[in-house]
This record gives sequence, C-alpha cells and structure tokens, in this order.
Amino acid sequence: MIQMIIKRDGRIVPYDREKIALAVLRAMKASGEGTVADAARVAEAVESALESRCGAEPPQIEVIQDMVEQELMHHEFTNTAKSYIIYRATRTRARESRTTLMKTIDEIASKDAKLSDLKRENGNIDGDTAMGAMLQIGAAGAKAYNEAYLLRPEHAKAQREGDIHIHDFDFYALTTTCTQIDIIRLFKDGFSTGHGFLREPQSIQSYAALAAIAIQSNQNDQHGGQSIPNFDYGMALGVAKTFRSQFRKKLTDVVADHLDDDEVEAQVAKAIEMTEVSFGQNALEPAEGFDGALTRHLYEVLGIESDVAAHLVARARRRAETQTERDTYQAMEGFVHNLNTMHSRAGAQTPFSSINYGTDTTPEGRMVIRNVLLALDAGLGHGETCIFPIHIFKVKEGVNYNEGDPNYDLFRLSCKVSAKRLFPNYVFLDSPYNLKYYVPGRPETEVATMGCRTRVLGNVYDPTQEISYSRGNLSFTSINLPRLALESKGDEALFLKKLDDMLELVAQQLLDRFEIQAKKRVYNYPFLMGQGVWLDSDKLGPYDEVREVLKHGTLSIGFIGLAETLTALYGKNHAEDPAMQEKGLEIIGRMRKFCDDKSQEMKMNFTLLATPAEGLSGRFTRLDRQRYGRIPGVTDREYYTNSFHVPVWYPIGAYEKIHIEAPYHALCNAGHISYVELDGDTAKNVEAFEQIVRCMHDEGIGYGSINHPVDRDPICGYVGVIGDTCPRCGRREGEAISEERMQELIKKFPQIKAFVGIE
Amino acid sequence: MTVESKQNKLGAGVGFERIRRITGYLVGTMDKWNDAKKAEERDRVKHSIAK
Ligand SMILES: [Zn+2]
Repeated sequence: MIQMIIKRDGRIVPYDREKIALAVLRAMKASGEGTVADAARVAEAVESALESRCGAEPPQIEVIQDMVEQELMHHEFTNTAKSYIIYRATRTRARESRTTLMKTIDEIASKDAKLSDLKRENGNIDGDTAMGAMLQIGAAGAKAYNEAYLLRPEHAKAQREGDIHIHDFDFYALTTTCTQIDIIRLFKDGFSTGHGFLREPQSIQSYAALAAIAIQSNQNDQHGGQSIPNFDYGMALGVAKTFRSQFRKKLTDVVADHLDDDEVEAQVAKAIEMTEVSFGQNALEPAEGFDGALTRHLYEVLGIESDVAAHLVARARRRAETQTERDTYQAMEGFVHNLNTMHSRAGAQTPFSSINYGTDTTPEGRMVIRNVLLALDAGLGHGETCIFPIHIFKVKEGVNYNEGDPNYDLFRLSCKVSAKRLFPNYVFLDSPYNLKYYVPGRPETEVATMGCRTRVLGNVYDPTQEISYSRGNLSFTSINLPRLALESKGDEALFLKKLDDMLELVAQQLLDRFEIQAKKRVYNYPFLMGQGVWLDSDKLGPYDEVREVLKHGTLSIGFIGLAETLTALYGKNHAEDPAMQEKGLEIIGRMRKFCDDKSQEMKMNFTLLATPAEGLSGRFTRLDRQRYGRIPGVTDREYYTNSFHVPVWYPIGAYEKIHIEAPYHALCNAGHISYVELDGDTAKNVEAFEQIVRCMHDEGIGYGSINHPVDRDPICGYVGVIGDTCPRCGRREGEAISEERMQELIKKFPQIKAFVGIE
Repeated sequence: MTVESKQNKLGAGVGFERIRRITGYLVGTMDKWNDAKKAEERDRVKHSIAK
C-alpha cells in the first residue's frame, strides 16, 4: 500500500490516487479520447504497478510519471500517451530553464563584467551599471520563457546545442529587427513621438534634432538598429528652409541699412514674394533670372535704383549662404553629438544608428553631405572619434564616383574623413544586384544599409515596391555551417543533405516567429506603425493586425564560418585554393537558391545574410571543440570566421581579399560587408585609401569599409596611431607628463580646445 | 596642492583610447568585448596594398 511519495524537491507528501486520475484525464481530453472511467482505470493500474515495483518505499514523482506513460500504452491510449509525454517534456524544459535562469541572473547580479563573458555578449551594453544589468536580467528571463514556451522542441534543441543561433532571442515574442526611416515622409506635416506632437520642422537645426528623435523613438519599437536611408535628401529640405529665411533676414538688414529705415521688413518680404510667384522658391541656386526680377521688384516696392538693388541682393545672397553653411555645420555637429550621448532602452544603450548619404546633387544636399563629413572629421568635444551613427556613403557612377561627377569632390572628402575616423563606410549602387533596382530620380530605389550590414531592396511580396525606404528585417537566424561540415566527416553529399535540412528547419522557425510578430497590432508599435514609418502601415487603423504590411520585411537566414566549413570538408579554405572558392560559391549559392525558392513558395521575402558574428562565433566554436576536439583550421581558434570572409589571420593582399569576397556579396541579399585592414600609415595616404574603395566598386562589392588603428591620447589630444609612446607628448600609457611640458604643448597646439584627463 | 604633486598627476593612470571596429560598430575600449571577439581582433593581420 502506497502512502507517501517523494516530490522533485525532495519533500515527502501523502499519496493521492485521484491526482493521477486527474492528470490522465487531462491528457485524454487533450488528445480527444477516453472517459472519466477510463482515467480511473488507468490510475488504478498505475497504482498496482507502483506497489509491485516499490513495495512500501515512497516512489519518486518521476517514477509515477513513467508508470502513467507505460499504462496509457498498455491500455491502447496511444495518442494520450504521446500528449502526456510531450506535456512532461515541456514541463521539464520549463523547470530546467528556471534553474539555468536563476544561475544566469546570479552571474549578472554578482559578477563583474570583466570576469563574465556573458555580461560582455553585447559590447554596447554596460552590464556593470544598474540599468544595464536590469536589461540583461530581463533579457535572460525572456530567453528562458521563449525557449520553454514558444519554440518547437526541434528548434529549441537546435538553438540550445548550437546548430543555429536565433538572433535577438530575448525579443522573440515582442517585435521585429529594424527599419529604414524615410524622414521626408515622416516630417511632412509633423509627427507624434508618444510624448507629444512635433510640428513639421522649419530649419536645418530642427530637421537635425528631429532626425535624432525619430531614431530614438523608433528604437523603442524595435530591437535592431535604426537607419535613415536618405539623410542628404531629407536634411536638404531643412537647409532650403534655413536659406530662404536667412536670405529674407539678410536682405531686410542690408536694405534697412541702405535706406536707414528699420521698417522695411514687410516691403522686402513683398518683393521676394512677387519674385517667387514667377520664378519659384528662392534657393541656394534659384531659377535663372530670379535675382534680376527681385532687383526690379525692390525698385517697384521701395524705389531702390536697380544697380544698388542688384548689389544689395548679391550681398544678401552671399551672407545668407555663409550663414546657412554655418547653421548646417552646427546642426550636423549637434546631430552627431546627440546620437553619441543619447540613451534609450532603460538608459543602458546608445541607439544603434546609421545614416546613408552621398547622392543628392542639389546645392542643399551637397551642403548637408559636406558638413556632416566635416562634423564627423572634427570629432566630439575633445576630438574623440564618434562611435555613432554609422555613416554610409553611397557610391554611384555619374553622381560621385568619377572626376567630373557632380559629387566627386564629396566622395574625395569622404575618403579623407574615413581615413581618419573609420567612417563613412561605402555602399556601391553600381554593383549589378543593386543597379538592377536603381531608377534615376527615385532615391528610394538606391540601396542603403543599416546597422552593420542589413540591406532590403527586392520585394517578392509586392514587386511594385522594390525599394529601400520604410522597410527592414523582421528576424534572422544563423546556421553553424562548420558544425554541419564536421558532422559530415568529409562527405560532401551528406553535408549538402544536412545543409538542406537545416535550411528547412530555420525557414520553419522564422515562419513560426513571423506568426507571433504578425499577430501584433498597430498599437503594439506606436511609432513604427502608428506614425506610418513602416511601408503601408499608414493604411491601417490602431487595432488592425500588422500581418500583411510586415510582409514587406525580410526573414533572413544567416551563416558563419565558410572558411572553417571548407577546411573541415576539403582541408583548405577559399583563400588558399581557387578550387575551394568554387566550392564556397556553390555552398552559398545553394543557400541563396533555397531562400529564393522559399520566397516564391510563400510569397514572402526570405533572404540570405552574411551574419556579423557578434556573440555567437565564440559559442559555436566552443561547443564544436567540446564535441570534435581541436581541429586545425576549424576549431583551433576561439571564434569562427565572420560569414564568407577570408579568415582575419590569413595573410593576403587587400586587392586579392576583395576579389575573393566580392562574388559572395551578390549572393547574400540580406546583407554583407567586406573589410580591409590597413596599417596607420597606409590609411593616412588618401590616394591609397581611395584606390581601395575604387577596387571594391569595380569588383562588385556591395558594402565595404576599411579598418585601421585610430588611437587617441586624452592628455595631449593626439589622434592617430599610438604605439608604446604618444608621438605628440611622448608619454607612455598611464604615465604622467610635467607641467612645463604641458605648457609647451598648449603653446604648440593652440587649436586643441582642451587638454583633458587632468583636473 | 603642491607643485610637485600636481606634476605627478598630469596623465598619471590615464590610458590611451583605442577605437576598433567590431562586427560593424566602433568600440572605444576593448574591456566590454567578449573573449572570442578579443581573440579575433588580436589575430587580425594587415592587408598589403601592393598589386
Ligand atoms: Zn600624447
């Protein structure tokens, strides 16, 4: 006779047969078979099985559950047995995740980030601050919940064991990744941030301020980076407004001085108005004949002789231009400062922001591009390099690529700035897979990138809207490619089979997540959808489901470690042997074809991503080393190589690296980037720098940037390469310099605003 | 503060700031990177521009 049982936590409690019957009945109901009497019969059978097995000893709860499974099978309730087994497994998973969760929270709460890899997973969150730690605890809780309750068991297993990595898993149940914010559409007639309504801006300063607010507001609705695809075109409208009002002000001033009359404002405004009626709005470069007409109107309205009036108009134009240039620089400087100091998301993280520009050839657009580059070049208050936003320069033949192109001077300037500040990066509109979408005069068809590489352009869901603006990635999951290769032990056919299976698994998981995202309503995304930032969301009401409009976004399958994959399969990577390059392109081409086929099948945008490896490359490698040991060229480092890159440690020339990586850009339509590493001296050579950018363009790279060391001594303000000693003040790291030496430096470098680090 | 102690303080304990790009983002110090990314940065070799 059983009297007591042992619970999981070791407590001994009275035995109750009714409880077994109830659990059985619950399972029966779930599978739609059996009655109350059947449940009682099974419970009875369980009891006698327990008695014969345990005798007088109190049984463990696990044993009782095993018996329930067994007796359900005996009594031919097969479906009920299955649902009972699944129920048990789910409960076990939930329990285990709770235990892991508590350990994780313990680590977050009590360990210093220096000692905790976990806390340094995302380099942009400071896990040592209260808000940063709170953010990490929240993320850990969300992850545990998502794994236990939202993932299918096969997806949870793949994620847990490192076959795949579901990115931004903490946000799995909540939102989507990123958007290209079309600021022109957003600013038109003003917008609401949720904390108040902002009128349509009227000057370049307020355009720039609102651009920063737009990024911050949208950041609260999504977990990824935020980007502006048309920074130059958008800000140009603000420049135009500033110029018009400055011109009127300056003309009023010079006319007032000339006539020695302070009451001329209304007449001057009238003269300008009359001119604009026939010649269109005044601008940095007004319509031909504008100034002549204005001169005549000044005579009509105020009786100023035409030669004098012409002189006054010219002077006003010069002064307004100078003032507008100055205002634009300050606006750009403010914008960059703003994005570097602004916090969002519980105060722990600076928004991940990007701005794209380079192709607006109007004088206003050019003024924006020039000044944002100059602000970037100047750096922050003490000359520090700006971490945000990411600047992306759009390169296009006929616009800025060749000598004689209208913005060629700005392309050159961008190279000079990037050689000093690491930004801008370059996106290449002429690469065939970008060019095919490009329509002159429609900037929304120009490729733009966001964050570290994401790109959205083609649109299977709605082929009439193959544009960059107002769209973005919904979610992405990366495949551990080297794992598949290691499991295949050199068997290519087996590898490809495993790859196909894994692609299918990830596609299903992305669709599962889409289902969660699609059920959200407009009010769940108050800015992104509520303010119409996302494509077609302006056609929805606040309680509408976002399902259909979300389909403009992409579901992306990523991968890392092509180099290690090739080495595991064939013994060499794609930089070491041209035959391996062919194999590499076959593998990645196969993945792309899967995405294209799946897109057609679902009429949704499945795209292939060259995953930026933050957080996961170390984890995959660690797990694979535990399983397969230390394999040279595969698991013998702490990380897997970023996407299709030539390994960072592999000695290779810049041009050859670009040549090898370029064909993969065409395949990875969700996003890609190639890097070239230069030493400090080469980077300072702007000609050499530009040659590398040109090589990227000519080889068909989609997105590229050049890395070089950028160091700064906060004591003397030197920015450049610093080895052991600072080239300017001669001190070593942490070393003090004398007061006399400091006085010498201040005399010698008067342009440095402040020498910091000393109180 | 005496002149002597002030002299000793100018820059004492102040390190150099080293900006690096990690998965597309710039980072001011390497303290906050995870171990694998630190290793990756350490292993990077420069690419020659000789054709
Ligand atoms: Zn120095």
